[in-house]
Amino acid sequence: MTPDALNRLVAQLAKLPGIGEKTAQRLAFHLLRAPPELARGLAQSLTEVVDRVRLCSRCFSLTEGEAGAPCGFCTDTRRDDRVLCVVEGIADELALERTREFRGRYHVLHGALSPLEGIGPDQLRIRELLVRLQGQAFEEVIVATNPDVEGEATALYLTRLLKPMGLKVTRLAQGLPMGGDLEYADQATLARALSARRDL
Amino acid sequence: MKLLSLTCERFRNLGAVTLDASAGTTVAVGENGQGKTNLLEALYFLATLKPLRASKLVELVQWGQTQARVSARFVLGGAERELSVVVGDGTRTALVDGKKASSFEGYFGGVSVVAFTPDDLQVVKGGPDGRRAFLDRAVFNRAPAYLQESRDYARALKSRNRLLKSQAPAAHLAPWDDTLARLGARVWARRRALLLEVGPRTSEAFERISRSGLEAHVWSAPSGLDLLEFRAKSEDELQQHLLRALDERRGRDLERGFTSSGPHTDDLTLELDGRPAKAFASQGQARALVLAWKVAEIENLQAASGVLPLLLLDDVSSELDPERNAFLMGYLKASGAQVVLTTTDERLVRDAAGTQARWYRVRGGTAEPYSSP
Ligand SMILES: Nc1ncnc2c1ncn2[C@@H]1O[C@H](COP(=O)(O)OP(=O)(O)OP(=O)(O)O)[C@@H](O)[C@H]1O
Ligand SMILES: [Mg+2]
Ligand SMILES: [Zn+2]
Repeated sequence: MTPDALNRLVAQLAKLPGIGEKTAQRLAFHLLRAPPELARGLAQSLTEVVDRVRLCSRCFSLTEGEAGAPCGFCTDTRRDDRVLCVVEGIADELALERTREFRGRYHVLHGALSPLEGIGPDQLRIRELLVRLQGQAFEEVIVATNPDVEGEATALYLTRLLKPMGLKVTRLAQGLPMGGDLEYADQATLARALSARRDL
Repeated sequence: MKLLSLTCERFRNLGAVTLDASAGTTVAVGENGQGKTNLLEALYFLATLKPLRASKLVELVQWGQTQARVSARFVLGGAERELSVVVGDGTRTALVDGKKASSFEGYFGGVSVVAFTPDDLQVVKGGPDGRRAFLDRAVFNRAPAYLQESRDYARALKSRNRLLKSQAPAAHLAPWDDTLARLGARVWARRRALLLEVGPRTSEAFERISRSGLEAHVWSAPSGLDLLEFRAKSEDELQQHLLRALDERRGRDLERGFTSSGPHTDDLTLELDGRPAKAFASQGQARALVLAWKVAEIENLQAASGVLPLLLLDDVSSELDPERNAFLMGYLKASGAQVVLTTTDERLVRDAAGTQARWYRVRGGTAEPYSSP
């Protein structure tokens, strides 16, 4: 009989994406055999992440600051306040950031329009985007949603909203991998897509 | 392009089967229900990532198993390549030389197949869905990028229909109208380009096959446009055309809960002397027409890429009358194409197969080589 505590750990680990029962068991045994600092450190990091990391009140990226305070991207004074890049997720933001080509601000939608998954405009951070654009003098909005069907529809939806506000709206150039996510595009491809962005 | 060998693992009733392909004709002979079509389907699926018959990917996996794998060695552009596809729980993964293919273009580069099945022979007299699928297979053979494009269109269509069913407000529908119009215009442009190439060749091949003096004509046009108007429009204008149609019918679409305009509602029209073959062609004429289309498709692929496609024939000889079977067998022999075909009766194909043919006996999901009959 395996101890209940161990069973519970295996069950919890198996809830993580990409981890099946077998892998969960292997990880659990590994944690058990390793010096206790490993497990304690992991437990502490897990608690810290859920307790401290929040969404930035301005761009909805991740931040560790005090509640209500904007994140590092938003407070960095060296960044360009005229260009705003709209992305689906935080992983996309990080991928663009790695190219070091973009020095403007970000806005994270937390998804894309997807009727098949029941996601409409109200489920995304679109209202917050509009409020932000009304309060700040951006000149260009780069819509960097994924080049798939949902990403394109989201881009078109945003264009219909933003054009009448007198903003220049651009879209990343194609050439990204088929059915691909921004997140997985290599840096050179992404940098090229960024510099060859087209008007919408 | 040349196929060297094919291996199927847990694919339908084929537990573990390997075929060494002839540079000419490879023949799978067997009784009904033994796995001949499954073999061809495995090869077709590998080369197109589209199932030949199944509507769901899980149907391809052997009952009681979780994963099927098909792989084949090809010579492509002088280099030997192994293509594989793994199917499991509703997904499929394509591999080139054991590594996950990063793009469809990378995967398909150079492989082209044309399949000819008894189902194809029903196309003339059947419903518009079957004819659209028939046309789309040809478009895909000519332009592999169409696989993704037609899938994207289907996904956008499903999304819009979902919104229609939930009575979504106009502002929520608008981006999907835009998306559907853009993707739909692409589908129209692809089908039009294919018909422009294959249409005249079909008429010409029909003349050779039937020698009836009747003129065959195949075409397709969106509703609301005649053929000349359709041909004259740019892809942008087609997009505007679809956007207008979606706009005009939005009220009705909302009532019914589905989208009533777009390429998914088109038909492929086959005519003999200006009359619809669906209503007027005899069985023999209908089959000659399909045969002509296939010949046209093969010749067109060769003209366009300089490479003869690999031909997969599923027991068509038994469906054709002796005269048309003789034409087909003569054509295959003269074309020099690499062919994999199935039959229940080896006598029907023996002459066409020639001396370098390889013969396999298919029985209960296995395939054993045997020497020429
Ligand atoms: N997923 C599956 N797992 C196991 N067996 C399957 C699966 N799908 C189909 N089969 C079986 O495969 C068998 C052979 O099918 P196939 O269509 O290849 O026969 P065939 O040799 O082409 O016969 P025919 O001459 O009648 O066309 C059928 O008996 C069918 O029940
Ligand atoms: Mg069969
Ligand atoms: Zn921020």
